[in-house]
Amino acid sequence: MLATRVFSLVGKRAISTSVCVRAHESVVKSEDFSLPAYMDRRDHPLPEVAHVKHLSASQKALKEKEKASWSSLSMDEKVESLCFLLHKCGFGEKWLNVAEEGAADLCACKWLSSLPPVYRIKFKESFAEMNRGSNEWKTVVGGAMFFIGFTALVIMWQKHYVYGPLPQSFDKEWVAKQTKRMLDMKVNPIQGLASKWDYEKNEWKK
Amino acid sequence: MAHATQVGLQDATSPIMEELITFHDHALMIIFLICFLVLYALFLTLTTKLTNTNISDAQEMETVWTILPAIILVLIALPSLRILYMTDEVNDPSLTIKSIGHQWYWTYEYTDYGGLIFNSYMLPPLFLEPGDLRLLDVDNRVVLPIEAPIRMMITSQDVLHSWAVPTLGLKTDAIPGRLNQTTFTATRPGVYYGQCSEICGANHSFMPIVLELIPLKIFEMGPVFTL
Repeated sequence: MLATRVFSLVGKRAISTSVCVRAHESVVKSEDFSLPAYMDRRDHPLPEVAHVKHLSASQKALKEKEKASWSSLSMDEKVESLCFLLHKCGFGEKWLNVAEEGAADLCACKWLSSLPPVYRIKFKESFAEMNRGSNEWKTVVGGAMFFIGFTALVIMWQKHYVYGPLPQSFDKEWVAKQTKRMLDMKVNPIQGLASKWDYEKNEWKK
Repeated sequence: MAHATQVGLQDATSPIMEELITFHDHALMIIFLICFLVLYALFLTLTTKLTNTNISDAQEMETVWTILPAIILVLIALPSLRILYMTDEVNDPSLTIKSIGHQWYWTYEYTDYGGLIFNSYMLPPLFLEPGDLRLLDVDNRVVLPIEAPIRMMITSQDVLHSWAVPTLGLKTDAIPGRLNQTTFTATRPGVYYGQCSEICGANHSFMPIVLELIPLKIFEMGPVFTL
């Protein structure tokens, strides 16, 4: 547990998301997977429970106000009230549709950084927040490049300390004589080697 | 023979190999199309924003993606079988050569018009002259005439080997106790290389096959195989 705490310090999600999630205990509150749990998932828009189970005093007051007629709400409170939000979006009393990404983007994007408290009672993150990208790719790419580089070092060491010399037939003169012989034999004269040689001018075709 | 970094097929030296190259192009194009389609579908799967997990009953789509592969397979099978039957056409060979695999060399027998039998060993590296082909050149090549159908009878004296010459489109297993037959007609003169193509022990990579195809007039002049 202590080790994963370290990761939370780095927690810009620059390394493994799952490891960082483990460090944040608020997400892994319930270990009993048979009970309904809250989750922020794109394909599961309506979690079985609300995010906040125990309402504070101000939150309870807001909920009571929401039940009454909305005309009694001030402009700010209208902005804060989730139900009014939905009504403005044209979804009427069907609060279910708040979870549709389209609606969320349409209405909630304007209030992205300051989503109303009523929303936050029901949901932990907005769709935009839960779908945000991360910096994990930089770590992955960097790690991959590092290990490729390390492999190159290993290969260089092998070439110097392990492998014997190349056979004679790799010497430049040998390869030159060999190529000349292959051209004399007209090896692959249709599309291959000999087809690239100009036999009249005695040079490679341009 | 192939050059060092060659990936594709060698140029054809027989009509069957020409057909095989065309067929290979055709099959490879189909492969590329299918791979591209699958990669595209994979890309779409990884980048979609859709989250419906209850899709079912897509009967029309399922019919299409069953019938279409069947059609593609037929389009591959028809040219393939055509070439297969082409290799078995009656062609009345002018010459019959026997090729016997040993560990780790080949024996060739020219017994149609006399009794010529010789072994063909790979040239050891120490015996090579500059410019020789390492691991490919042999001491005695198989000298044959061009433009004449030739029958090869292939067998082995000990373990499995395989007699292969890619540029002629030939590969026939050498099986002890069995005579396998293959025929070919070379269209142009030259020296053509192949390597044993069935694992046969320590020196399996060191028993190559070299054919020297020469004009019939020169072939008829008599034994010319160690020029």
